[in-house]
Amino acid sequence: MILRTLGNLFMALSAVMLSLPIVVVCGAALNSGRSMFFPPRDPTLARFHEFFISEPVWVEALTNSMIIAFGSAALAVLIAWPMAYELWARGDKASKFLAGLGSMPFALPPIVFGVGLGFLWTFLGVLGSVWAGVVSHAALFLALPIVTISIGLQSIDRSHLDAAATMGATRAVTFRTVILPQTIPYTVSGFFFALVLSFNEFIVMFFVSASSYSTVTLQIFNSLRNGYTPTMAVAAITFICVSVMVFSAVARWGDLPRLMGAESTKS
Amino acid sequence: MSAASQVVVPMTVAAAAKRPPLARIAIWVVTLFLCLTPFLLVIVISFGHKVEGASWEWAFSLDNYQRVFVGANWPDEVTFLYLQKLYYSLYYAVIASVLAVLTAFPFTYLMTGLSKRAQSVWLVFILSSLSLSEVFIVMGWDVLLSNRSGLPMVFKATGLTQWLKDVGWFDTLRDWGLANPRNVKFKTSVFATVLTMAYLVWPYAVILLYPPLSRLDRSMTEAARTMGAGPWTVIRTVVLPAVRLPLIGSVLLLFVFLLGVYVAVTVFAEPAKQTMAVSVYEAVRGNTLNAPFGSAQAVILLLTAGLFLTLGQWLTRRNAS
Amino acid sequence: MKGLHLAGIYKDFGSVRAVENIKLDFAEGELTALLGPSGCGKTTLLRMIAGLEMPSGGSILLGEDNITALAAHKRRFGMVFQNFALFPHLSVRENVVYSLVIAGTSKSDAIDTGERLLDLVQLSGYGDRRIGELSGGQRQRVAIARALAQEPEVFLLDEPMSALDAKLREDMQVELRLLQQRLGITTIVVTHDQREAMTMADKIVVMSQGRVEQVGPPQQIYHRPENAFVADFIGKANFFDGVVEAGKVRVGQSLLELKTPAEFISGSPVQIACRPETPYLDSDGIAGSRLKASVTFVRDVGPVRDIHLQTEIGPMIVEYARGETERSFTVGQETIVTLPVEGLHVFPRNERAAA
Repeated sequence: MILRTLGNLFMALSAVMLSLPIVVVCGAALNSGRSMFFPPRDPTLARFHEFFISEPVWVEALTNSMIIAFGSAALAVLIAWPMAYELWARGDKASKFLAGLGSMPFALPPIVFGVGLGFLWTFLGVLGSVWAGVVSHAALFLALPIVTISIGLQSIDRSHLDAAATMGATRAVTFRTVILPQTIPYTVSGFFFALVLSFNEFIVMFFVSASSYSTVTLQIFNSLRNGYTPTMAVAAITFICVSVMVFSAVARWGDLPRLMGAESTKS
Repeated sequence: MSAASQVVVPMTVAAAAKRPPLARIAIWVVTLFLCLTPFLLVIVISFGHKVEGASWEWAFSLDNYQRVFVGANWPDEVTFLYLQKLYYSLYYAVIASVLAVLTAFPFTYLMTGLSKRAQSVWLVFILSSLSLSEVFIVMGWDVLLSNRSGLPMVFKATGLTQWLKDVGWFDTLRDWGLANPRNVKFKTSVFATVLTMAYLVWPYAVILLYPPLSRLDRSMTEAARTMGAGPWTVIRTVVLPAVRLPLIGSVLLLFVFLLGVYVAVTVFAEPAKQTMAVSVYEAVRGNTLNAPFGSAQAVILLLTAGLFLTLGQWLTRRNAS
Repeated sequence: MKGLHLAGIYKDFGSVRAVENIKLDFAEGELTALLGPSGCGKTTLLRMIAGLEMPSGGSILLGEDNITALAAHKRRFGMVFQNFALFPHLSVRENVVYSLVIAGTSKSDAIDTGERLLDLVQLSGYGDRRIGELSGGQRQRVAIARALAQEPEVFLLDEPMSALDAKLREDMQVELRLLQQRLGITTIVVTHDQREAMTMADKIVVMSQGRVEQVGPPQQIYHRPENAFVADFIGKANFFDGVVEAGKVRVGQSLLELKTPAEFISGSPVQIACRPETPYLDSDGIAGSRLKASVTFVRDVGPVRDIHLQTEIGPMIVEYARGETERSFTVGQETIVTLPVEGLHVFPRNERAAA
């Protein structure tokens, strides 16, 4: 059918469009000179070496990025759990408001949240500390684990909880032995979503770090102003690979379509 | 949370709801602290006063707001400089969000017709590109659209520029700001800004449209086909009515998100057509260093965002009834 | 009205052949049931007839016209889906006249036809209701009216009763059959419920694993099943494995008398099917094979009694209808079972028959 080929063509075209700048960036990382040329001139892998090993500014930026990403994702999951649980268990106005509050930073323009956090940390005297960065991102990305964990909780068969109760489980035991295990994939995916988004986030980190430390995205932004070096493109490639790996893992061991909102009946 | 799922809450879970107040209080405190106070601070500081140097003091003055709306020297002279910036914020955001949703819709619709396995693959692709930082995307498009080594050069090399001149379309491009006398230029133009912004949110559009489109009952489209509806009629009479609400909702959400975009605007927008997000940045951490003024603008952005989010909520509620 | 003919139809999904070499004729004005367990290919076959799936091979003819490659929206066979697929954003009337509206029929004509159809399915006055307000049975009627609005050549129904509760189902089976007869429209119904097929159909096509097992009127399918699958799927049957021995069948220690078709030579392994309502218990005057048995369980469900027995040839269930006998049977009671010749069906024993 003509329509089917047209459809496939459209999807292929969209995929190409989507990949275009990424391909450019990856290709530019292979440049041997200091400029970003595409196609690359004198391709070399020296930039990769610089990024991961030799240039201290990049190594430090990468370390900070990782600390903040892992820390904030873990913290976000930790805070999101009770919120999602309350929402599921009670579903009253108060818990809905709480979940809404927690999702607010993600829904509103991040620049405003970034500015506000900047003020907050200044008052507390911790502006520019990495820990403030961790907490900032946790607050920013709370919405993600809230959503994924909520989806997970909704998929729990209530009769399982009844069965546990008839076998003598207290609510704490039921939580630990029935609810928690059944929602592991959702907890993990919430963690990973927050992780990947944190790696790549820029504007909030800008206001919160106040130039006293840098992450990879901040470093790139600084260099944006001053002209590129292909070393930055290495950062881009790294992040893309990390994202692809993370999401492929989620897809492999979990039900990615379901996680993103599809119903589970389709095959 | 539907009412039905609430009614069936079993004893164990209901008992859990009476959890120790300490834990509940802790959660509320943490959330209010982290998620509410930053916004409150911005609001409060917007009424403040800039002090010599990079600092400021507490005050309750409406000077900053006055400056945003009618300029600092009112009533002697009126400038709408900052309102203009707000205008551009809205302008870019509207076009980019509509463009993104319009192109993401057919893509997502087609995607949800594929097997679950194929959908997973596409989702990984979309999610990976979605998580790519604005900084990288801008870097990529910067190279692509660069006047010296990107697409404009491709245009020139392939003779496309010459062809455009011959056909006469080159002058139209010049009128649109997309060319200078020698060649097409894409950097710093509305086109480049909107393109990058639309590109930025396109994967979000797919993610937002995915749930409603994947839950679309395919037997309805099949029923329409057995009643004589060709493919376009099916989309027009069955698919679009079913997803009209999510489409509008997505546009609104993406619009709000794009209000705060910073990097793409600084790189791709003409100096005369910058947005409020940029001037917030400038005021708080950039060249002008006027935190209260920056906060005032941030509040305006916040209110605009809040307005559209509420609009979205109202629309959802209205159609649910 | 034209008849529908399928020749050599098959359908592959990847390396799996879902439907194999189907040759069927659907006479005009008849209701044919495609009957079989889930996964047998009946729904796939229906969808190919509707044009929602393309066959991998073979041809479909409507009267003289080859419609195999015709798209669904050009065939316009009215179809009722399992979940009814009513459009929630349109009212009842708007749903019913959908096909007319998109074909460009004038508004007044469409409204008239809509009213006529709602009358037909006994939903007059429901035109302005929303789909969400309707009960399951009402939705089904709307789906039927909607499918018939375009006056289709063929009327297709995919498990139309499965979304209704049991009590409603039986009433609707009768009603739908009467409606179909009144309109005289060629109809094909897919179902897994053999009682439904027996109630409604002029002709039943029994399917299994993508193939047609038997085609015929309900009574023929019931009383003269052509293989063990059909015997098992339609109605109930007791099965025994045996070997042919000079015109009779040996099962264990017993030799059973039955009408053995000539093709069975001595030594062939066979399967015997015996419907539970045919054997007699403790009845001397009846001709047939006799077996000793003892009662293991009695199930009295009101109109019938199922007596479970352990016989010389294996476990067996005998069914007695109320009024057939006043005798009572108790567990442990010894009895003699008589198997009349005409109540036994014999089939070759092979892998496929062991369903």
